[in-house]
Amino acid sequence: MRQLVSWSTSACVGFVRACVVVVVSMLVPAVWAAAAGLWIWWWDGDPWSGIVPFLWACIGTLALCRPVCRMIRSLVAKWTGTVIPAGYRQAGPVTQMATGYWWNGYSYERTSRDARMDQQWRTRWKDPATWRDLRFTAIAPITAGVICAIPPAGVAAAALGFGQSTPAARLAGVLGLAVAIGGAPYAWRSVEPVAVRFLRASPAMALADRVDELTAQRADTTVAQAAEIRRIERDLHDGAQARLVALGLSLATAEKLMETDLDQARALLRNARAGAATSLTELRELVRGINPPVLNERGLIDAVRALALDSPLETAVTADVQLRLDPPIESAMYFGVAELLTNAVKHAHATRARISIVRDDTGIVVDVEDDGRGGAGVRPGGGLDGLRRRLAVFDGTVEVTSPAGGPTCVRMMLPCESL
Amino acid sequence: MRIVVAEDLYLLRDGMVRLIEAYGHEVVATATTGPETLGALLTWRPDVSIVDVRMPPTQSDEGLRAALAARRELPGLPVLILSQHVEQLYARELLADGAGGIGYFLKESVFDADQFIDAMERVADGGTAMDPAVIAKLLSSGSSNRRLEQLTEREHSVLGLMAEGLSNQAIGQRLFLSESAISKYTTSMFGKLGISDDENNNRRVLAVLAYLNKT
Repeated sequence: MRQLVSWSTSACVGFVRACVVVVVSMLVPAVWAAAAGLWIWWWDGDPWSGIVPFLWACIGTLALCRPVCRMIRSLVAKWTGTVIPAGYRQAGPVTQMATGYWWNGYSYERTSRDARMDQQWRTRWKDPATWRDLRFTAIAPITAGVICAIPPAGVAAAALGFGQSTPAARLAGVLGLAVAIGGAPYAWRSVEPVAVRFLRASPAMALADRVDELTAQRADTTVAQAAEIRRIERDLHDGAQARLVALGLSLATAEKLMETDLDQARALLRNARAGAATSLTELRELVRGINPPVLNERGLIDAVRALALDSPLETAVTADVQLRLDPPIESAMYFGVAELLTNAVKHAHATRARISIVRDDTGIVVDVEDDGRGGAGVRPGGGLDGLRRRLAVFDGTVEVTSPAGGPTCVRMMLPCESL
Repeated sequence: MRIVVAEDLYLLRDGMVRLIEAYGHEVVATATTGPETLGALLTWRPDVSIVDVRMPPTQSDEGLRAALAARRELPGLPVLILSQHVEQLYARELLADGAGGIGYFLKESVFDADQFIDAMERVADGGTAMDPAVIAKLLSSGSSNRRLEQLTEREHSVLGLMAEGLSNQAIGQRLFLSESAISKYTTSMFGKLGISDDENNNRRVLAVLAYLNKT
């Protein structure tokens, strides 16, 4: 009895789902059918009268293909749990250049609105996903569409057959009903394999995605590098350079005063010495920010140990191996750890931290764990987002586990071949 | 005193030699690379040597490694390390053998020639002298052990100055206290740190070590 109930439930649900699939997958054919109908309606002996309905059908198809695919994707995800990534190409950032023009990744435009419009069209047109969607809207009706049409067609046949009194028609009605009931629980399932096969990202699209990703990363890196160079220039200009000028000035004055006022000359020389010491301190800080000397001298692990010693947190470092990686990777990892420790102090108010550096088959894994209050997350433009982007340049990833109340554990993973 | 100077930059090496000679000491050899430094330290066995951390051929920590290697051969060989930056990590490595005769300073400490030569002489006598920057880093880092927590604030500052390499007299001058008061502090401090009398020679070194090995 229970079996019968569950079976009839699944038959009813299946019937509804089959109808939904039929409706969605037949939207585009319906547009073409309507166009053909119009053509026949307007038929006056001239085949060219069909051009207008034909254009309408084309525009309708283009407009409908993406929504149709989106619906199919969401239906499949909802009914079967199979998530098919959409893989549409994302529009890149539109930035204003120093010339005042807007750059959208393809061309320069006078206004940001033009730049965005232009970008949207180009992205759409060049997106392989658009062509994949078009193909799917052609394939879906003759595969999943036809199969899913069986239960509704059976019901229609039954309705028609029982409406007439001839035995043949009645027989057809009974057959139709049997097919409808028998096929209802299964017919809609045909949409899943079809969607998986024809809606997934093709290798070309994966490649295109990768190119997009790399382009974005390159842009990021360039911007970050330029900002860094500007910062260094500013620090040198306002710091060491200015101090050296002052130093020269003091020395010149002292030289002059040697003849007349020895005491004041001595005081000036003392000042000059203090100034030289200060500019050295500044330069040291600057150098530490660019590339910490200990990283150069000892490599990542000892540099992290040195960092841990300088940190106000009680920090334990475990590392299973001594390894030397490529300098850019070491630098990225080092500054990653430095930033995480700073976060632990500043935001999480932690008192202890644990750092572990391990290598596995694929690369290097660095875990930084603190006992702070947690609640950290990757927010666009935030520190962790910056860290993620810096590591993404090397195909590295950042995983943040930080429930409110703590503890925070951040795992940085970098694949590397030099191991 | 017979001194070896190991520094790869000509201007600095030259200046250093002149400074040392101006104070009446003798520079017996100079070295410009890591291997050369090790060779000079082992052949000359100088009263004290001044060694730069970063040197050719690798431009990494050649000098530091040469100094450590030489001290493994000749324990307690006095070495004063000069660097553009100071790291607690390096300070610990230098002090790890507990033999004393170690100095670790920023290069700009030569600006104060009197103090620099003073520190050099203390290192030659088997003492320990650390740059104030190392001490400051130690004070600001959060780690601490139970023994150090027993020290009073005054004892802490005495220990910090001791780590810089100052004598009891000099510490007294800095803190405006008499020398006898300082020696009272040091005695109680040694007691709290569990450093016994029979290690008398190296007590100050051991105290500094305890200070550095806070974790």
